[in-house]
Amino acid sequence: MTEKKVPSKVTPLFFARSYLSTEDNKTGSWRFLRPRYEEKTAPCSVACPAGEDIGRIETLANQGMFKEAWETILRENPFPGVCGSVCYHPCEAVCNRGEFDEAVAINAMERFLADTARKNEFKPFLTNLSAKKEKIAVVGGGPSGLSAAYFLTLLGYSCDVFEAETEPGGVLRWGIPQYRLPLPVLERDISLIKNQGVQIKTGIRISKEFLKEAGESYNAVFIGCGYSRSRKLEIPGEDLEGIKDGRAFLNRIRHGERPRLDGPSVIIGGGNTAIDVARSVVRLGGTPLIAYRRRKQDMPAFSEEIELALDEGVALKELVIPVSVVSDKGDYAVTLHHMKVIGEDDRGRALVEPDGNKTEEIRVKNIFKAIGEEAAESWCDPPHKGEGVVTLNNSTLDCRTESEVLVFGGDLTNEIKSVVHAVASGKEAAIALDILFREGLDTVESKIRNCLVGNGSFCSMEIYMKGPRFDRSSHVVSYSEINADYFYLSQRITQPRLLREERLATFDEVNLKVSASMAIRETERCFNCGLCNQCDNCYLFCPDLAIVRDKTPQGRHINYDYCKGCGLCVVECPRNAMVLEEETNETSTGR
Amino acid sequence: MKQVLEGSQAVAEAVRLSRVTVISAYPITPQTHIVEYLSDYVADGTLKASFLKVESEHSALSSLVGAASCGVRTFTSSSSQGLALMHEILHWASGARLPIVMAEVNRALAPGWNIWADQLDSLAQRDTGWIQLYCEHSQEVLDTVFLAYRLAEAVSLPVMVIMDAFFLSHTYEPVDVPGQELVDRFLPAFEPKFQVDTDDPAAFSPLVTPNFYMEMRHNTAKAMEESIAQLAEIEENFSNIFGRYYGPVEPFLCDDAEIIMVTSGTMTGTSRQVIQELREKGEKVGLLKIKLFRPFPAEIIRKTLGSVKKVAIIDRNFSFGAGGIFAQEVRAAMCNLSDCPQIFGYIAGLGGRDVTTDLLEDIYWRTKKSEVPSGESIWMGLQEENHAVERS
Repeated sequence: MTEKKVPSKVTPLFFARSYLSTEDNKTGSWRFLRPRYEEKTAPCSVACPAGEDIGRIETLANQGMFKEAWETILRENPFPGVCGSVCYHPCEAVCNRGEFDEAVAINAMERFLADTARKNEFKPFLTNLSAKKEKIAVVGGGPSGLSAAYFLTLLGYSCDVFEAETEPGGVLRWGIPQYRLPLPVLERDISLIKNQGVQIKTGIRISKEFLKEAGESYNAVFIGCGYSRSRKLEIPGEDLEGIKDGRAFLNRIRHGERPRLDGPSVIIGGGNTAIDVARSVVRLGGTPLIAYRRRKQDMPAFSEEIELALDEGVALKELVIPVSVVSDKGDYAVTLHHMKVIGEDDRGRALVEPDGNKTEEIRVKNIFKAIGEEAAESWCDPPHKGEGVVTLNNSTLDCRTESEVLVFGGDLTNEIKSVVHAVASGKEAAIALDILFREGLDTVESKIRNCLVGNGSFCSMEIYMKGPRFDRSSHVVSYSEINADYFYLSQRITQPRLLREERLATFDEVNLKVSASMAIRETERCFNCGLCNQCDNCYLFCPDLAIVRDKTPQGRHINYDYCKGCGLCVVECPRNAMVLEEETNETSTGR
Repeated sequence: MKQVLEGSQAVAEAVRLSRVTVISAYPITPQTHIVEYLSDYVADGTLKASFLKVESEHSALSSLVGAASCGVRTFTSSSSQGLALMHEILHWASGARLPIVMAEVNRALAPGWNIWADQLDSLAQRDTGWIQLYCEHSQEVLDTVFLAYRLAEAVSLPVMVIMDAFFLSHTYEPVDVPGQELVDRFLPAFEPKFQVDTDDPAAFSPLVTPNFYMEMRHNTAKAMEESIAQLAEIEENFSNIFGRYYGPVEPFLCDDAEIIMVTSGTMTGTSRQVIQELREKGEKVGLLKIKLFRPFPAEIIRKTLGSVKKVAIIDRNFSFGAGGIFAQEVRAAMCNLSDCPQIFGYIAGLGGRDVTTDLLEDIYWRTKKSEVPSGESIWMGLQEENHAVERS
């Protein structure tokens, strides 16, 4: 109950209110700056050798559109499962979010999408372009050869892949241990490549003679047979019985052998093969020691793999080289010469030389050589620059003879021997061949440049095919261009893994699946640098109601009759998906 | 129920009991405690309101202009530099006829940087179209917030509830905090006279041409004028419910006084003691407390002061080149009286300096002993200026 109202008189209000429309007042005539929607390039997509549209993938995944997100990967990379498991994710190192709190767990998200696609048996909606007359032979069914064949098939070419082994996959099948890359994951990716129309002929080892006759059946040959021969140590005793080759050892493990390796083992080398061998030795009951000639930070192996190895009990001895091996009552006595750092090269890697006469002897049961590999046969090495040779970022085109076009890719041309670089190589080769066949050799280099993501080193098939990514600016968004006020600090997901005790007993995969709820939370962390995720800030902030929603893919446009160019939309765009430019005579709408 | 409350909390309790819907403020000493209490109430759900965090006082008041246009009860609070920064929007709030209520804690303006009591900040805003109510103690502050909402909503004008820095804002006093039911009886839900309504689209505060501007201003002037009568009726209603009454001005022992001292704010309480002591000594002295400064209650003031010989006005403020502001206003109100008393203007307590009983007594005796004022403004308690300080 309230008291009765005060009765005294109050003059009725006379104040400024108008029922006239303000539409007559075309405030657009005031404008001298003009905002515009312009999507830009995210740094992760530039760093990704496969040129994946990571910002878009995270947006789609965040909206629960897992199939579309997965298909977006497939447009640039036929190996989402493999890369989700073993990619060394250079994307995360340049993630702008890293300057805010922690980089987005992009690799874990790729794996989540691949797992989800596999579990739900998604069939990708990817149609090949109309059939072309040219036929291409691909030598080697590893990641670069399969990628080349996949992208060539998408472009409309018919491809035959020749694989020496009984099954395709190359290093993915025979080199990388199961605990990093389970077979079903690889087979799922390969089956999608086959479904796209790639023919794989296994058990055919290609010889140099094949190339001479290839011209009759094929217009080009992609050579991606990889590095399969281990380098030699060139020391006394290296050929003693029982000294093992790292790659061959890993191959035996993948074929199902499980030898007991009790006692100490030494692995010579510092690359991923050395790490894979060491971690396998742990699982076979041994005590591995990695002997490396430089420092830990100089090891070519991916740092995450090194840390996991150390965590599993692998020992590391830095700055030593083996100088001799002798057999002694069932053991090997290895003499290690100590090295010292005398400087660093231009990439920060240690330059080393022997440290006087300092040596030590270690006694081991097993020795594994893993100091790097090389091409099995010399004809597999790409030609040096010269007439008819086009050396691209990730592949080399050899058109020196009329009859046959050769393209070298994968480990044969790539400095970093990673799966995702092999994908880059296969894709670049496919695009280069398409340009070569359609427009001739002279345009290859310039046309390839046009489809590099953010003017980096890696191509995008979507940009080459003039898909929606083609319209984006190649400007690479930096952290300072992100409106970080719109983001909250949030913890990066921790990749779930088997407990160490569980890992050591088996070759089961170490990394565990990420749940959908965790994935959605993680993708929420992505800044989507330079990409519109329909957040509607422009619409909410426009003081002139000049942002108009529509049914275009952009979802909205600017009504320049009323936009007076205040730039609020551009400043309040959290992800730098707009630009503000000076009005010119061409763009001006009024006074 | 009587509680011992900090002055700032008395404001916050009143705002809570007024069921305010939107609060926006920017912290500034000595006002900060008010909004700290309120943000706690909002955070813990005691007060179901939106607390808008902003980057400046200008935005605080601007956001309330938006909120109040939507027809809800709003509150802000500021002080000194913060109020100065609000200046532009103070005009907007009154011109747009929005019943916003603000607690204004009187603090000196810089430089010299000074956080203590001084009325210049609010008095410098006297022409912005806000109703101004100056309070003496915490109970009055609490009660005045209720009165302010009733008055603001009755005449569609914003109201400042004004209190001295520290003497009021940071001092603990017993305060009777009424129950919600009682407050609801006095202050029902806000029924806006207009509001932004998407079903009835209109432009608010658009361009007004010379054809209409004067009428619009005159309408506001009338509302200001009418608010004196409105306040009287509202206060009557208030005293019926709560048993307390303040009035636009309060004469204290003025009936047979020959000299009347005029004060506002917390120095009034000190003056009451001095006046009583002087009365006990046989002096014919009275006190007039001015609470309502805008609109200025000239008629009531003329009635109270018209028949005395001398008036001593004590200003805790100074308008450079003119004088104490209460003194100016009182002089202007009195000037057409045929037998106008001598009006003495005293300046005291600037920047938080104590206005002591001794100083007030000194003012009385000076006034009594002087036939006419020795100048427009008499500065009390000035020390010798040490110019050497400039060089050190």
